Amino acid sequence: MLMNDKSIIQVEDLHKWFGMLHVLKGITFSVVPREVLVIIGRSGSGKSTLLRCINFLEDPSAGMISVAGVGVLTGPGIKPEHKKILALRLSTGMVFQEFNLFPHMTTIDNVIEGLVTVKRMKKDEAIPIGEKYLEKVGLRDKRDVHPIRLSGGQKQRVAIARALAMEPAVLLFDEPTSALDPELIGEVLDVMKEIAYDGATMLVVTHEMGFAKDVSDRIIFIDQGLIVEDGPPEQIFSNPKDERTRLFLEPLRKVQHL
Amino acid sequence: MAVETMQSYGPAGPDPDRSMGEKLMALEKRARLMYTLEVALVWVVLFVILTLALMLLNFDPRYVVEHFNFVLEGLWVTIQLALIAIAFASILALLGALGRLSTNPIAQGVSGFYISLFRGTPLLIQIYLIYLGLPQIGRQLTIMGYPQLGQMFTLTAFQSGVLALSLNYGAYMTEIFRAGIQSISYGQREAAVAIGMTRLQTMRRVILPQAVRIIIPDIGNQFIAMQKDTAQVSVMGIWELTFRANRLARQESKFIEMFITAAILYWILTIVSSWLESRLERRLAHAYER
Repeated sequence: MLMNDKSIIQVEDLHKWFGMLHVLKGITFSVVPREVLVIIGRSGSGKSTLLRCINFLEDPSAGMISVAGVGVLTGPGIKPEHKKILALRLSTGMVFQEFNLFPHMTTIDNVIEGLVTVKRMKKDEAIPIGEKYLEKVGLRDKRDVHPIRLSGGQKQRVAIARALAMEPAVLLFDEPTSALDPELIGEVLDVMKEIAYDGATMLVVTHEMGFAKDVSDRIIFIDQGLIVEDGPPEQIFSNPKDERTRLFLEPLRKVQHL
Repeated sequence: MAVETMQSYGPAGPDPDRSMGEKLMALEKRARLMYTLEVALVWVVLFVILTLALMLLNFDPRYVVEHFNFVLEGLWVTIQLALIAIAFASILALLGALGRLSTNPIAQGVSGFYISLFRGTPLLIQIYLIYLGLPQIGRQLTIMGYPQLGQMFTLTAFQSGVLALSLNYGAYMTEIFRAGIQSISYGQREAAVAIGMTRLQTMRRVILPQAVRIIIPDIGNQFIAMQKDTAQVSVMGIWELTFRANRLARQESKFIEMFITAAILYWILTIVSSWLESRLERRLAHAYER
């Protein structure tokens, strides 16, 4: 694949083995700035693993990953520099399925933790930034509350604010609504939509086909560790080229009113 | 129809649900209070029985009163020993736990060896080895021409006591720290790493603050156990609680008087400690209360 100068994420021939299990079998794609890319696929298809390889929460077994100009090459016998991985993580923000807020800190402290500890910002400089992003997700009034007092949807919005506060080049969402009660999904999706309209570059692994259809610029369908289909949402939903994509989407159509 | 149902929830008029709830709560509260009183009564009875038994044994309270201050002074030495040793033991335990959880073979090997050695041998022998054995090494070093280095191996009785208790308890507490660190969900580590934290920052800012809260009761438990193990350092002639009690007991063969005095002082110390521990526990629980 040709190197695209404009792209902000570049993934080339990415492989991941878990023991004998070959989960990712050579994934190659790129993302341009401000693009919203949704990754869909069955459970176990490798979509979460792919996302987690991009910021090295999983060590890829082989391949090249580059985010915002920091490229890291891995392969058997190649141990990537830890410094490069740290730099790459600074260019990515991540939102997890299980929120993973720090329970011993208030919401504002959760949001500014990265600014203070990683970016070495003074606390009184970080607080206004933290408040700005809490405001953005509509939870400024919860700034001094500990996570245990928040609903699932509120927790996830704080987690989004925590990721935004680091002002990363790319946001990674790993099934951000899968752990939520149905009535709380909307508030999280609304915040994500707003961020997308603000021009953030987003990679979203999700089962929310409505979100994929309405918000994404591009959809990647992954099956058995390979990209099967890659295209704009209209094409994927109305005219999928691959039989496997059609088979995956067919039963979802009825449930999610596509 | 709908309006009528709404009215029954209005603030005016007695609410049958509410008064019933209040009544049940009051009953529950009374039952709890009664239970506490009954347990307290059992304690009082046991106490009276023990006191009566002592009277029958020709217990001499005057001897206790006369020498109480002398024994009490030993309590301060005991507290000092225990406080310093628990602090060092916690540091050792933290390092030991990090070693146990590390993938570095040296850290893994050293911490494993340390734990095995100090859990596998009696505290009393460790005390003897540190107080009497180390100076032997020191003398050998002096003979070999390193007198300054040699001198460092001769510790005072108090220093030896602190060192032995710290090393011994540090080994046991390593497992407590390790379990505490491992009990924090992997997602916490991932969230910290995802915002760019190094391993050290993750440990210091995210994992340890949560782990310490969880293990506070266990550390408190170890602290209480240690307070009583300080009695073993009396063999080196440190003027702590047991040493002083023992000395006076032998002077006039007032064993029951002196050892019961010492025992009660230890007992009070542990009661105060566990009360302080539970207060600390409650304070740290603040972030986790809905």
